[in-house]
Amino acid sequence: MADRTDQRRDSIVLIVNDVTHEFGIGDHRYQVAACDTLAKTLRETLGLSGTKVGCNQGACGSCTVLLDGIPILSCMTLTVECDGKQITTIEGLQNKETGKLDEIQQAFIDHSAFQCGFCTPGIIMASRALLNKNPSPTETDIKDALSGHFCRCISHYQVVEALQTITEKKKK
Amino acid sequence: MKAFKHITANSVEEAIALIRTHNGKACLIAGGTDLLGVLKDEILPDYPAAVINIKTIPELDHIKKNNDGLKIGPLTKLADVVAHPLIKKRFSCLSQAAAAVATPEIRNMATLGGNLCQDTRCWYYRYPQHVGGRIMCHRKGKGPCQAVKGDNRYHAIMGAKVCFAVCPSDTAIALSALDAELEITGSQGVRNVSLNEFFTTLGNILKPDELLTNIQIPYPPKGAKQAFLKFTLRKPVDFAIASVASVITMQDGICKAARIVLGAVAPTPVRATDAEASIIGKAADGVVIEEAAEAAMAGAKPMRMNAYKVEITKTLIKRALLSIFQ
Repeated sequence: MADRTDQRRDSIVLIVNDVTHEFGIGDHRYQVAACDTLAKTLRETLGLSGTKVGCNQGACGSCTVLLDGIPILSCMTLTVECDGKQITTIEGLQNKETGKLDEIQQAFIDHSAFQCGFCTPGIIMASRALLNKNPSPTETDIKDALSGHFCRCISHYQVVEALQTITEKKKK
Repeated sequence: MKAFKHITANSVEEAIALIRTHNGKACLIAGGTDLLGVLKDEILPDYPAAVINIKTIPELDHIKKNNDGLKIGPLTKLADVVAHPLIKKRFSCLSQAAAAVATPEIRNMATLGGNLCQDTRCWYYRYPQHVGGRIMCHRKGKGPCQAVKGDNRYHAIMGAKVCFAVCPSDTAIALSALDAELEITGSQGVRNVSLNEFFTTLGNILKPDELLTNIQIPYPPKGAKQAFLKFTLRKPVDFAIASVASVITMQDGICKAARIVLGAVAPTPVRATDAEASIIGKAADGVVIEEAAEAAMAGAKPMRMNAYKVEITKTLIKRALLSIFQ
C-alpha cells in the first residue's frame, strides 16, 4: 500500500478565466510548489496580479476568487488541491471580445465604490458570485454576502449602492 | 510557507497508513483555513514534512438521515451545514452556530470536522515566528502559560489550570447542546465518544494516527426548543468572546429537560450543569432565568483582565433562555 500512496501526481491542470494551464509540481520556474497558495500562483506564476493579498490570514477577503463559481479565499487554498478546477479572477470578468467591463465593475466606477482599490477585486468577485446565485438581492443579502470583506477607506456604502442599482436596473 | 510534501488520500485507511509512514511528521488538511495559518506563521517548533489532503475522501462528505437522527460527515462544508433544510428545522442551534463562524468565503472552504479540530486562537500560542520569534508556552510543551501574567482579556474564566486558552469552536458548543457523538477512526479501530469527552485542556483526544470520521446527532426530544448566541466585537470574522447553546424541552409550561453549554469561557466546551438543574421542574419566569445565569457563572474565576466575560456570558444565557421560553 505504501508504494501506491506515495505516488505523487507530477502535474496539475488549472482552468483560469477559461484558459487551461498545465503546471508541473516542483520548485523550478513555471512550476507550482506543493506549498504554494492559489493566490501566489495566480499573481506570481500566471502574472494575474489583479487578485490582491491583504492579510494573508483569511481575514480580509481581498484575495477572493471564484472556484467552480463559489467564492473562496485564494490565500488559504493550496494550488495543488485545485487540480481540474475552474478559477475566475477579476481579470476574467471583462468581455474578452468587446472589452466591455462586467456590469459590477462598471457600477463600481459609476458609484466611486472604492478609494485605494486594494480590496475591490475581492469585493467584486464576491458580488459576482452573489448576483449569479441571486439576481435580486436585498440590502441585507448584499451585506451578508460581503461581510467577509474589509475596506479601510470605508467605501462599503458606495459598494452597497452600486450593487443595488444593478438589481434595480434589472427590475425595470 | 516553508516547503512540504503534499499527498492526496482517497480513503480513511489510506490516510491513516500515510500518517503512520510519516511517523508523526505529517498533518491532515481538509478546508485548510486553520492549518495554513498555523503553517504560514510557523507557530509550532515542529513543521510537518508532509501534508495529507483528506478532502478527496468521498465517504466523509455527507449529511444523512437515519433512525437515530442525523449523520454528518466531518468533511461537510460549513456553508452546506448552514443551508441544509433539515438542520435548519430540527437542529437549528447547529445551523445558527455554523452561520456564526468567520465569513461567507471561509464557510465555503472550512469543514465541520475542521471547526471541531481547529487549534486554539490564544495570541501567545499563535504568535508568528517571523515577527521576533514564536512564543513558547505550556501548550507547546515548554514554559508556563503566557496568559497568566500577560494580556488575558480573551482567555478562560473557568476550568483552566495549565493553559488558559479557550476552545474557539462555535459548532462544538451547539453539538454539545445537541448531545452529539463523534466517531473516531485510527489504526487501532473505531471508537465513539461524546462531544464533551472529545475536548481536552490542550486540544482533543485524537491520537496522531486518528481522524474524525462521523458526527452523529440524535433528534432532540419532541417540543424541544433551541438557541445559539455568540458575542463578538464585530459580527463577521471574529471568534467568540463568549457563546451559549441551549436545548430545552418544555411540557405544559414546565421545563422537563435542559442542556446549556458555554463556549469560549474555558479550554473546552462547558456544560452549565448547575444552571440546568436550577431550571428543571420550574415554570419559566424572570427569576428562574436570573438564577440560572448566576448558577452557571458561580464557579467562574476570571483573570486580571477578563472579568467582563462573566457578565457577558450571564447576559447571553439570559437572552438564550428568554428566546426559548417566549
